[in-house]
Amino acid sequence: MKSKTNRFGIFYLSLFFVILYLPILSVVLYSFNASPSTAKWTGFTLDWYRQLFRDRVIGEAFAISIQVAILTAIFSAVLGTAAAMVSLMVTTKMKQTIQRMMLLPLLVPEVALGVSLLIFFNALKLPFGHLTLVLSHSLFCVPYVYIMVLLRLQEIDRSIIESARDLGATKWQAFYTIILPLIMPSIVTSSLLAIAMSLDDVVISTYMSGPTSTTLPVHIFSMMRVGVTPKVNALCTLILVGTFFIIGLNQYISKISKNRGLSK
Amino acid sequence: MKTLKRNVLAIPFLIWFGLLVGIPLVYVVVLSFMSRDHLGNVVFRFTLENYQKVFDPIYLRVFANSFLLALLTGFITLLIGYPVAYITSQLEPKKRNLAIALFMLPFWISSLLRTYGWVILLGNTGLINNVLLALKIIDKPIPMMYKFSTTLIGTVYMLIPFMIVAIYNSVDKLDRSLLEASYDLGASKVKTFFKIVLPLTIPGIAGGFTLVFTPALGLYFISDLLGGGQTIFLGNLINTLVNRGRNRPLAAAFSVGMILLVTLVISIYGRITKDKGEGLFQ
Amino acid sequence: MKKPLLSLMNINKYYGDFQALKDISFDIYQGEFLTLLGPSGCGKTTLLRCIAGLEEINSGDILLNGQSIKDLAPNKRNINTVFQNYALFPHLNVYDNIAYGPRVKKSMTEEQLKIEVQRVLELVQMIDYEKRMPDQLSGGQRQRIAIARALINQPAILLLDEPLGALDLKLRKHMQTELSQLQKKTGTTFVYVTHDQDEALNMSDRIIVIDQGVIQQLGSPREIYNNPKNLFVTEFIGDRNILEVEVLETGTDATKVKLGQNELTVTNSVESDKIQAGGLGILAVHKDKMQVSCDPQPNSIKAEVVSVHYAGSQIRIDVQVADLSLTVVEYRTACPCKEGDQVYLTWIDGGAILLPLEGQVNQEERGLA
Repeated sequence: MKSKTNRFGIFYLSLFFVILYLPILSVVLYSFNASPSTAKWTGFTLDWYRQLFRDRVIGEAFAISIQVAILTAIFSAVLGTAAAMVSLMVTTKMKQTIQRMMLLPLLVPEVALGVSLLIFFNALKLPFGHLTLVLSHSLFCVPYVYIMVLLRLQEIDRSIIESARDLGATKWQAFYTIILPLIMPSIVTSSLLAIAMSLDDVVISTYMSGPTSTTLPVHIFSMMRVGVTPKVNALCTLILVGTFFIIGLNQYISKISKNRGLSK
Repeated sequence: MKTLKRNVLAIPFLIWFGLLVGIPLVYVVVLSFMSRDHLGNVVFRFTLENYQKVFDPIYLRVFANSFLLALLTGFITLLIGYPVAYITSQLEPKKRNLAIALFMLPFWISSLLRTYGWVILLGNTGLINNVLLALKIIDKPIPMMYKFSTTLIGTVYMLIPFMIVAIYNSVDKLDRSLLEASYDLGASKVKTFFKIVLPLTIPGIAGGFTLVFTPALGLYFISDLLGGGQTIFLGNLINTLVNRGRNRPLAAAFSVGMILLVTLVISIYGRITKDKGEGLFQ
Repeated sequence: MKKPLLSLMNINKYYGDFQALKDISFDIYQGEFLTLLGPSGCGKTTLLRCIAGLEEINSGDILLNGQSIKDLAPNKRNINTVFQNYALFPHLNVYDNIAYGPRVKKSMTEEQLKIEVQRVLELVQMIDYEKRMPDQLSGGQRQRIAIARALINQPAILLLDEPLGALDLKLRKHMQTELSQLQKKTGTTFVYVTHDQDEALNMSDRIIVIDQGVIQQLGSPREIYNNPKNLFVTEFIGDRNILEVEVLETGTDATKVKLGQNELTVTNSVESDKIQAGGLGILAVHKDKMQVSCDPQPNSIKAEVVSVHYAGSQIRIDVQVADLSLTVVEYRTACPCKEGDQVYLTWIDGGAILLPLEGQVNQEERGLA
């Protein structure tokens, strides 16, 4: 009886994961197809990748996306960590307020957020570009940093910090010798997530991009709308490789921190 | 006095929130009551015209489409995702960790890429049609793109990881001894599932539903790429109004409508999880 | 007259409306092992934290060598704490944990530090563990590192907050011995918090019994054990039978009381001015200072045996007098009795104390009875 349900369960899970990854794999597969159409497989080629590297516009969009992603990650890491620290120092009521505020950008549909920011920045006559992109991306990145750092902070035994003070550390020394090293893995991990999310965002970026600051996803989206071309496949495949690099980095960091006894 | 002083620390965060969320949202609400001149520029004159338009049958239809899409996405992700989460929780640790990694991984992968994958699979010259043609099961391609259901496939695919994670967290927290007690008292596996597991994981289901419903209302790039604009959804409409029609007050009114819809869903969620002591707002 | 090392003067501490410490005053002398003993929630840990500077006091003063330290931050006080859960820094190895204090205070060069770390590791018998991470250590080892980490700062006073609470019984007994040896060897003043009377009685030079934020009694282990000053201490320290009796006659040396049908003479009493003939009193007798006889004895209680338990070397005999239950613990019995037998209970000299009844009202209010 038990093994029967198990076997069915494994089958169901396997089927689910095949379907979950089939679209992703087919994008990768067709990036190597010599034919520009998906109708036929006419042989293996790296031509689309060559074309990609010659495409100036894509190169520029990529550079902008990377810059925006890194700036967003730094901004979000600082603000998110500060907010997490602060919410443990303020009154309970203020902490709840901060928590609710953090959830709001995640609960309001991105289109509505994007439109509201577009209209508001327009009214402020703020030039659309890096600044607006970073600010708007921080909306969905700061909450993640906040949540992950706060969870870690709450895990830290209060007596560890008291012990540092007791042994002679000033408040500031206790922060950078004890608290910061302990929350660092969470900060780094959530910053990497912030980079991934910033690099991936289409909806808000569409509204926030300026005439000279189109991000990569916005550009890819416009390419996709025009039609299926293997160049898009190749680009998507490269992005996937980049994503796996970030995930690998993330795993590596959490492994190191585990070895240093930072996480349970 | 001392507590006030401590709260001062929260000011930078409050400024960030106010500038990027608070004021813009208020501004959208204000704008939704404003008019336009004959050039299409916003004029600060109060009007209810935009909201009258929202209730115009043509536009109401857009609301209905979006609502239906989000609702169906919620139900389908629940139906497919619940077993995934439940089976995963029953696996031995090694396999369980692999399964968790597999359903978490898509969070990191570009959503455009994942949507585009379906274009490649479902197109007339796409992978599925190619295979079926090659196997001579069909003699001409089945048109699968640019339908309501294509968009639905896309949103379900995009959002199902949220549902699975929400339910998994809830299933994982279940006390195993409860299930054992139920078996011990003579309940079958099926009965235990419906009498014990399901009721106890309702907060997880509600949480997953909220996490799926909200973005499903606004992911316009999915309906653009897979639906081909055949069915118009809120996200596409707002996007068009802002970018091409330059009718920002109307776009604002629709955004307000969208936010109200989400608020409704979240308040239902809040009510479901209120007595259970868990949820997003605890 | 010895000069006190640390003086607590009328300390009051509130959490909102709740008063955790009420007018606490006492002195601590150089080199002594002082224990704060009390049930959980009595305020002993709060008091320790006030001395460490981790809690602010609402009124009163704390003097270290005659200087007020009540407004100093914890890092400015020459007092160190060993926390209940050790609070080792999880991301630092043993060496860096121990070196933490001197490093943040920049009080030693790295060469000096090496020598000092060796010295304290030797004190706690943990040489060769320098490179270990805290999660690679057992509970007892973490304990020692926590002590070494505090001792390297050569604190005027070492505060220990239930440091043995997380250890198993056997290790706890062993560490008790080790701690008191360490204290004598280093000559450091220890202030030790515990709820375990065995620990307190074994290790301390002096014990302060605290309940409800008030000092109940201060004295040597022997005084506290044999001559409790009030009902709380009587109940909390030692294992006693607590019996309500009628007071028949008071005198300077002895008081006559009635328990059931038995008339008894008690020579030891507390707050005797509150004990009046015709009123009620509390007779407290150590369970292991009572004896069971088969034949009538002078000044004895006639009782009926309810049950007899053999627990290793001990014999526990439960008896009934009127409607009161008593337990006698003996190591060898002169009267091999069984259930239903009539026996006569006596106590060895000084084994019983008479207290006024009024305390018991409070005790019932607290729900501790």
